[in-house]
Amino acid sequence: MSTPIIMPKFGQMTEESAIVEWRKKEGDKVAQGDILFTVETDKSVMEVEAFEAGTLLKIVVPPGVNVPVQSVVGFLGQPGEAIPTVEPPKPAAPKPAAPQPVATAPAATPTALPVERAVPSAPMTVAPAPRPPEPAAPTAPAAPSIFRISPRARKLAERCVIDPTPIKGTGPEGRIVEKDVQAYLASRGYDKLRVTPAAKNLAAKEKIDLLAVTPSDGGRITVADIERAIAEKPKPMNKMRQIIAQRLTQSKVTQPHFYVTVSVDMTDLIAYRNGLKADGLPYTVTDFISQAVVLSLQEFPAVNSSTDGKTTRWHSRVNLGLAVSLEGGLVVPVIKDAGNLTFREICDTSKQLAEKARAGKLTPDEMSGGTFTISNMGMLNVENFAAIINTGEGGILAVASTMKQPVVRDDKIVIRQMMKMTLSADHRLVDGALGAQFINAVKTKLEDIELWKRMTS
Amino acid sequence: METYDVVAIGAGPGGYPAAIRAAQLGASVAIIEREQLGGTCLNWGCIPTKALIAGADLFGRIQHASQFGIKVSGATVDYAALIAHKNKVVQQLRGGVSRLLAGNGVKVLTGQASFVDRNTLDVAGNRIGAKKIIIATGSTSVVPGFLPPNGRIVESRGFLDLTALPKTMIVMGGGYIGCELACMAALLGVKVTIVELLDDILLLLDADVRREVRQHMEQKLGITIRTGKPLEKAEAEAAELVLVSVGRKPVTDGLKLENAGVKTNDKGFIPVDDFGRTNVANIYAIGDVNGRTQLAHNATSQGIIAAENALGNKPGKYESLVPGVIFTQPEVALVGLTEDEAKKAGRAVQVGKFRFGGLGKGIATGETIGFVKWIADAGTDQLLGAAAVGAHATELIAEATLAIRSELTATEVGRTIHAHPTFSEIWMEAAHAVHGTATHAPPKRKK
Repeated sequence: MSTPIIMPKFGQMTEESAIVEWRKKEGDKVAQGDILFTVETDKSVMEVEAFEAGTLLKIVVPPGVNVPVQSVVGFLGQPGEAIPTVEPPKPAAPKPAAPQPVATAPAATPTALPVERAVPSAPMTVAPAPRPPEPAAPTAPAAPSIFRISPRARKLAERCVIDPTPIKGTGPEGRIVEKDVQAYLASRGYDKLRVTPAAKNLAAKEKIDLLAVTPSDGGRITVADIERAIAEKPKPMNKMRQIIAQRLTQSKVTQPHFYVTVSVDMTDLIAYRNGLKADGLPYTVTDFISQAVVLSLQEFPAVNSSTDGKTTRWHSRVNLGLAVSLEGGLVVPVIKDAGNLTFREICDTSKQLAEKARAGKLTPDEMSGGTFTISNMGMLNVENFAAIINTGEGGILAVASTMKQPVVRDDKIVIRQMMKMTLSADHRLVDGALGAQFINAVKTKLEDIELWKRMTS
Repeated sequence: METYDVVAIGAGPGGYPAAIRAAQLGASVAIIEREQLGGTCLNWGCIPTKALIAGADLFGRIQHASQFGIKVSGATVDYAALIAHKNKVVQQLRGGVSRLLAGNGVKVLTGQASFVDRNTLDVAGNRIGAKKIIIATGSTSVVPGFLPPNGRIVESRGFLDLTALPKTMIVMGGGYIGCELACMAALLGVKVTIVELLDDILLLLDADVRREVRQHMEQKLGITIRTGKPLEKAEAEAAELVLVSVGRKPVTDGLKLENAGVKTNDKGFIPVDDFGRTNVANIYAIGDVNGRTQLAHNATSQGIIAAENALGNKPGKYESLVPGVIFTQPEVALVGLTEDEAKKAGRAVQVGKFRFGGLGKGIATGETIGFVKWIADAGTDQLLGAAAVGAHATELIAEATLAIRSELTATEVGRTIHAHPTFSEIWMEAAHAVHGTATHAPPKRKK
């Protein structure tokens, strides 16, 4: 009897994973300990070994499809052994494709529901505790009405390279018969379609519906048009992007944002910082902003809080998140208990965390538990921007580029290095006046060189 | 100051068709040429070399006429007379271009053109205005600094004016121009040595195509081919004649592009977008000077597209499928993707080959050297590229070009009835060979 290969569970919070690559092909001999496939988890790519020797009889889950952990992804055994009929587990991400003609009940699909997953977070997190899994997604996938089509009709649709699913069947129980396909083709003007032979073959191979392709070259569908259609096909996001999508949506939907912007005169601070740099000290402009924010959060505890809409919770410690952009996404390492660190310690910690982030070596612990976040796009030449609050935190400070601007000082126009920053705050916690006070506290600190002299002496 | 809708600079195979197309569209058009109408192609390139190669080829065939029972003895070549034939051909075609331009009402201005600003040109001291300008100034041979041209060291243009051939010659550079002229000279009895710095001659071709040409050039034409080493200065100086053919560079001297703000790249070419536009909105560049494929027929295609774009037609893109033809013996032609390029790009392809030796027509005419091949996508059967080496290869490539541009599949070409007995049948056979089903080739041994 063949042995099912199971998608392992890599961490407490992992509910689904995608295979990155099968290292073995169907029919390959496998020794115990051979790497069968690689899996992308929330944080990294892991290799999965074979527990026993044999032959890879069947691959059930192709690469790139998110499936719940513990799903059967393939079968190992001896050639010729029977393989149980298994429908590929339902991809966890909603699949935009047409309903699949499912005949047999998914035999090995675990009942794990593609419910919204909790954000990976350590127990101490201030983020709203992982919501108790709701009994079931209220919109349980309406059982797709069974797709019925006669073999002749299916053949015709295949030959014409069209998707038969939108066709209304007139046969018994709504079964699509050949004349339904013919009528559909006629109603959609299929005979007027001009397609190059290579384009038709490519469309057939890639399952592109020719009726859904808009020709660009004088009304003729070419390979370039099909390639465009292929490129436009929805593709699963990688794990990092899925988490980003999920967290940002959750925040934007549940936390009412409001925004307040100030301009900070950075002229003196930049000059002071350049002086420090000349003396070999490592402080960056971001470090000054981090420190100013930490001090201000201690002055305004309401900003360093979180709420579930019914209760508020103040965090005695400031855990400062710093958004770091990476190829294809971003991560937010957290400086823990920043209020109890010296300025130099904040500087050193953020440097270490940023390096780890870029190397992809942050641990889950280093990315969780934040109470407030700074997103700095100063190096990206932007005038101003507003950030989305990290789910569960009270606010986020968006820091834009420092630019020379004409400003009025003592009724004279002078050129100063100005930096805009915008606070996004959760309005349930922070009212307008409080937000304004908080961001002005940050601003005042940044403009107070005496403060920095004290902090760096 | 007279002002035109369109002014073309350079009357080569890019410039004069551009001017004619613009005139056809109703524009007032002028064309500026500082040398001869027809440019390099007509005067010192494509056409004159083909006149000479046709003579050399005929001489070669006469020497092998006995296989058809024709006895010829004492055939000799009067090279000066062959050159006179070439000059007559050139003259005739030049006259043709002149009449075509006049017939379309294009004003021909002679002299060096230079930009005054983006809408004004100076032609030999006279100013003309231009709403749209098409730069079509072409390219010229690169001559290495250590070999100043003199009577014994010539590039292709100088070579074509020689009235007598040497007994021996060195061809520096194994590109297509060097190889064509080497074959021509060898057929006429010159002892030729090709010296190529790179690892092989004609490196743009797939190895199997290259091998076929090289073998014939070495074994049948007696050409010595030396690769992987540069030509030494002493060798060059000791040679009876050196033909330098190491590449071509863009011609922009005297244009004063800076006055119009037209940018050139580090190699001196004028870069353009897919619609032929330079960085200056009303100025286009076509042909060799824009550094895309340097071939006359590409310049012509670009010239017509640029003229249409300049006159406000719905902008069309430059064609990307450009066949290449090489008049060596045997002839070579290619279009689209090579097998090598497909492999480098990691594309899964299927290759179908068929030899001229398997064609009735080839055997009947005694032209059995070489083969054609299709490169088809393994997944969709789409024809992506083709190469031909052998008799009439340069004519045959047209069918392949049309098939590839029309996105035909190997199956489609295989099903198309090709007249028998012809050389064209070979594409049909090779298309079947893509699927291993050629009728006139032994079945492939199963592994």
